[in-house]
Amino acid sequence: MPSLFRRKRLMVVLVGFIVLVALIGFSIRDRDSLSTPEKFLQDSIGWVQTVFHKPVSLVDNTIENVKDMFGVYEQNEVLKARLSEYKGVIQENQRLKSEIEELKNTMDKTDSLSDYSPIQATVIARSSDRWFEQMTINKGEEHGVEKDMAVMTSDGLVGKVKSVGAFHSTVQLLSGFDRSNKISAWVVREGEDEAFGLIEGYDDESGRLLLEGIKLDEELSPGDTVISSGLGGVFPSNLRIGTVEEVVNDQFGLTQTAYVEPFADMFDISHVMVVDRTAETIESEMDQEEDAS
Amino acid sequence: MSRYFIALLCLFFLIMQGMAMSLLPANLVYSDLLMTPHWILIFLLIIAIFYDSDDTYHAVWYGLVFGLLIDVVYTGVLGVYMITYTLIIYTVHGLNKWLHANFFAASLLAIIGVALADTMLYIIYSFVQITTMSWGEYALLRLLPTLAANMIFFIILYPLVKEKVHDWAEEVSSL
Repeated sequence: MPSLFRRKRLMVVLVGFIVLVALIGFSIRDRDSLSTPEKFLQDSIGWVQTVFHKPVSLVDNTIENVKDMFGVYEQNEVLKARLSEYKGVIQENQRLKSEIEELKNTMDKTDSLSDYSPIQATVIARSSDRWFEQMTINKGEEHGVEKDMAVMTSDGLVGKVKSVGAFHSTVQLLSGFDRSNKISAWVVREGEDEAFGLIEGYDDESGRLLLEGIKLDEELSPGDTVISSGLGGVFPSNLRIGTVEEVVNDQFGLTQTAYVEPFADMFDISHVMVVDRTAETIESEMDQEEDAS
Repeated sequence: MSRYFIALLCLFFLIMQGMAMSLLPANLVYSDLLMTPHWILIFLLIIAIFYDSDDTYHAVWYGLVFGLLIDVVYTGVLGVYMITYTLIIYTVHGLNKWLHANFFAASLLAIIGVALADTMLYIIYSFVQITTMSWGEYALLRLLPTLAANMIFFIILYPLVKEKVHDWAEEVSSL
């Protein structure tokens, strides 16, 4: 019966299309957490990835180490020269730190927005699909990682946690940021107050972040440092983001947009830390109040 | 037996896809030309061509399962790879009836498969506005490098697995 067969195939195509639309609709909306099967799959694949990652990264590191060995002498000379400079800086830093501590004590203010506890993690895989700039790290809910936490390397901010499984989580890199991932930021200038702006996206062509909403009368110069302000709720303040490269007026001429070159290399990442802010966010405080009542 | 081997190999490629992106030299993988590895698809196309007979559809089911796994692990948008891989493998399985199963026919089908799959992913992602790239840019910066990179992988993989897959097919048909 060819007609029945053809009808069956049509049914399969239609059902497939409906499933596709339903699944995309289900997964693309702004979800607070992953569904249990997704978490389970992510963790099981994560374990296997860790098993494979160990020997491969061992070989990779050995090659890297051998390469590094050739440059050790020159590096050593440069570092020695730097070291003497730093001694002075350390002393000054310690003095300032104790001063801040004292001042805080007199003010009865114990936790500040810049305090955080880092969770060290290793990158075990990166999304193979190039439409998605994300990677998998080997720490999850059990280690204290939560959605929307900031992720850094030693150079600076690289992204934020997109979703968490029990033992692994997915990190959205800065290069994959769009308008739904905003970071409130300050531009640090010499001899002036900080200028406020929002990181609202990433310019694919030039590989720079877009810092938008800067007031027209603020004057920024290329080379100014951009740090997180901690006012967005989840990120602590003083995380290094990048340097200002170029400032233009936005399309309506009401505010300015700065192009920011990130400090961190988005491509060569192997170790990161997830930043757990010490100061409580409004939401978690509300949760606690609910629990108390 | 051979079914589990195929599933294990697919899992291996799934993991290697993600590892390759983080471990291969950055200036090769992250130049202006963006290539996406479709290793599972290529392996499953070989399975569809040499393992499946005209009326068995093992590769299609593998495509469904491992497509969904890619969605969960690497993209977070469910269903896209699942449907794309299933459809492409089914199409290639159908085309295979008109061609002799040899290297040239297989590589032709692999090129067609990868090109169709990548284009379909692009179309779906641009519908849900994950990408806003234009067609011209996509073809030049993504499609061509992706095709080239995946063909290199196909040429390496083909001699390694072809005999094995052929043996498996005979083993299954003799049962």
